[in-house]
Order: sequence, then structure tokens, then C-alpha cells
Amino acid sequence: MDLAVYVALTRQSGLAKELQSVANNIANLSTTGYRREGVVFAEEVRALPVEGGSVAMTEARARFTEELQGSLQETGGTYDLAIEGEGYFTVRTPAGERLTRAGAFAPNADGVLVNPDGHALLDEGGGEIVIPFEARNVGISADGTVSVDGAPAARIGLVAVEDRTRLFREAGVLFRAAGEVVPVEEGRVVQGFLEQSNVSPVTEMARMVEVQRAYEYGQRLLDQEDERIRLVVRTLGQQA
Amino acid sequence: MRALNIAATGMAAQNMRVEVISHNLANMSTTAYNARRAEFSDLHYQQVARPGTINSADGTVLPAGVQLGLGVRAAAVSMQVEQGTVTETGGSLDLAIEGMGYLEVTLPNGDPAYTRDGALKRNGDGLIVTSDGFGVVPDITIPEDVREISINADGEVYAYFDGQTEAQLLGQFTLTSFPNEKGLEALGSNLYRETEASGAANPGDPGEDGRGTFRQGYLENSSVDAVHEITGLIEAQRGYELNAKVITAADQMLAATVQIR
Repeated sequence: MDLAVYVALTRQSGLAKELQSVANNIANLSTTGYRREGVVFAEEVRALPVEGGSVAMTEARARFTEELQGSLQETGGTYDLAIEGEGYFTVRTPAGERLTRAGAFAPNADGVLVNPDGHALLDEGGGEIVIPFEARNVGISADGTVSVDGAPAARIGLVAVEDRTRLFREAGVLFRAAGEVVPVEEGRVVQGFLEQSNVSPVTEMARMVEVQRAYEYGQRLLDQEDERIRLVVRTLGQQA
Repeated sequence: MRALNIAATGMAAQNMRVEVISHNLANMSTTAYNARRAEFSDLHYQQVARPGTINSADGTVLPAGVQLGLGVRAAAVSMQVEQGTVTETGGSLDLAIEGMGYLEVTLPNGDPAYTRDGALKRNGDGLIVTSDGFGVVPDITIPEDVREISINADGEVYAYFDGQTEAQLLGQFTLTSFPNEKGLEALGSNLYRETEASGAANPGDPGEDGRGTFRQGYLENSSVDAVHEITGLIEAQRGYELNAKVITAADQMLAATVQIR
């Protein structure tokens, strides 16, 4: 069967996936703590039965998460926390512990600090952080220490994974760590700020245009192949 | 072409953000209004290539795999609980609450509701009510022949009568606090209702257990910051346009495919 068409098709189906990742990044332009995702393509080379011949097909093989710091937006909220530098907050979900950079927390009906989805924020020892009901003044310092009316009550632990490729995305701006999770000290917790999505609209637009054009090139190649085969069929048909 | 749907979720999110911002700006002068903020969260991820998939005959595995996200959803529209600035009005029944706490009022159906709007009035029977005429708990009635009313920081209402030098105590307002104020359900008219998320209402004397105090002759302003809202509006509008561009791009790619034959 005609190979050129299939090579072009693998590229196009890959580009459709890449556009999906661009669309997801742009859709999450205003998602607190969102980190940009991308797709990495790999070529698959196969030898052909002719001397020295080979064909390369392309496939979406891996993804990456942009680790760049997002800009911090001031909100003034007592329980709005941003991380400056490296690290993730740990939250407890029904499916287990997850990492996140989205720091919009609030005490729930029992005084436990939770995120908008109701998952509890964990301290460095893995316990929930309870804000006493009568607390007037809650301060959270750069090292994550939560002080209630001047007395330290808990410390929010920041963690990171040793192997970043083993960090998987989940819905709700969460990450699941498949590898070892280690505490980090470099990150600073900033109270009253939220980390914005680290998606750069300009870069995404440029990527989008690139994807679109590459898709059109592929289309043109398919068109030409179509034309070529039609010509062959017509010419051979006339001779017969 | 999933990009179409993903961009559509993005447009819906930005649209909601504009709605929240317009609501905030519309309430710029509403007494004791707390600004709202739309919070977003990403949607489910599709596993295109599972991490750990065996990649070749000698057993190498894919370290990362391919995960593609499916867009964005609204996670919450949360109330920004913060003390608004206070403005002097001079009204004897205008109360600003400094610190945490809500006044309890009784709705016409008998249910309790809570408010920080301290622009109180007297009704025909002398009872202290809110601007909408709902009675404040506990009932405090001001007699007709009162010369002057004084309300202190602890919410004690004193009345001065003609010909008397000593003030007479009419009653004391209470303040109600909640474990999670963000969990209160807004009813409109500056009123809130207790929910499972807010935790149980905890009424008590002002100034105790973290509750705030009263200031007579002042009203709490709306906590909406116009500059903040406008920058948010610009971001939301541009975000909407960017998502629309993605839809155009996906559409053109589809059109190219359709044109082949």
C-alpha cells in the first residue's frame, strides 16, 4: 500500500493531539496553580525491503509539564497560599495523597483547611490542619508555619518528587506522585497570594499557528499523493 | 477534534469569570458586600499512552506516557471574607461590625438568616428591623418618647428619655460567627443562610470568642476593589478571545481535512 499517505497521516493525528494540549492549556489560562502541558513526538523508524531504504513515522510518545513559576496574584485572603520556588502542597483525596500548587484553601465546617474540592491540606507530619473556631488572627509564614493568634499551631510541609517524569496529572489541578516524595526546604509559602496558571498565551498561540500550518502541509501532501495516484491510474488505464 | 470542546470549556469558564466580575462591580456600593472570586480547576486527563507501556522487545518502558487534558471547569465561586472599610453616616441605627460576626434576622417564614448590613431601621411598632423590614434577633423595641439612642461596642442599646439623666438599657445585640464563612449560602438582599459547609451558627456576645464589635454611626463598605476587578475583566476577555482562536484553528484544520475529497 502507498506509504507516503500513512506517514502523513501519523503526523496529522499527532498534530490533532498537540492541538488538544494547546486547547487545554488555553482553557486553563485562569486556573490557579495550573502547569502547562506539552506533547513530545518520537519517530519510529522501520527498514524497508529495498537496499538502504527506511521510513520514519511519528507518534506522540511522551508528555512534559512545564515547571516554570507562574506569576503571583495578590488576593489578600488569609488562606490563599502561593508557593514561590519549588515544591507542592500535599492534600488528602479519597483516592490517596496528591500534590498540588493550587493554594486556595479555606476552613470547612469543622475548621479543617480544605481546597475548593474539599480535600484536606496536610501538614509536614501528614495530619490535617485545624483552625480553632475562635481564632482571630491566622498568620502563615514563609516556611509554612501556621500561627493562630501568635502561637505556632502547625507547619505546612512542601514536598517534591525526585523523578519528575513520575508525576502524573489528575483532574482538579492535582498531581499523583508515583515515585518517592521528599520534603523540600527551598520553596517559600506566600500568604495572601495565589499562583496563576503558568501558561503563556503568546507561546500557546505561536504553537497553535505552527500546528495548524503543519497540518495544512500534511494535507497538501495528501492532496498531491491523491493526484499522483489518480494520474497513474488514468495513464495506465489508457494504455491498457 | 477534541480541541473544539476543550476550547469551549475555556470559553464557558472565562464567561463565568466575567459574570462574577460584573456582579462584583454591580455591588461596588452595596453595604457590607464581600467580593466573589471564580476558582477554576482542570478536567479529567485522557491516557493516550499509559506510562509504563512496554516499548520494545528488550523490555524498555515508556517513562512518562502521554496524558492529554480535557479542559477546565468552575471549582467554586468563593466569597472573599475580609473586613470592608467603614464610612461615617451619623445615623443612630447604623451599625458597622468590626471583625467577625453576623447579625441574625428572622425571615417572614420564621427561618433565621444572617447579615453584616447594619443599616437598621425602626418599624411602626418601634421594633428594630433591617432595611427589608426583617426583625433583628433578639427583638429590641424602642419606645416612642425616646430622645436619643446610644449603642456601644458590645451591642448594648441604651435609650435616653426627656427629663432623665440616666440612660435605660433596652437590650443587647448578639453576633453570630461561623467556622467557615465562605460556606454560607447567599440569599440576596445582603442575607446569608447557614449550610452544612458553613458549620453551625454560634451566637454570642460581641467581642467574645473572636467575634467583632459594633460601631454606631458607621456602615461597612463593599470590599470590591475596582482596579482588581478591571484587570480581571481584561484577563477574562482576552482569555475568551484566545479560546475562540483555538476553535477557529481547529475548525480550519477540519476544513482542510474535508477539502481532500
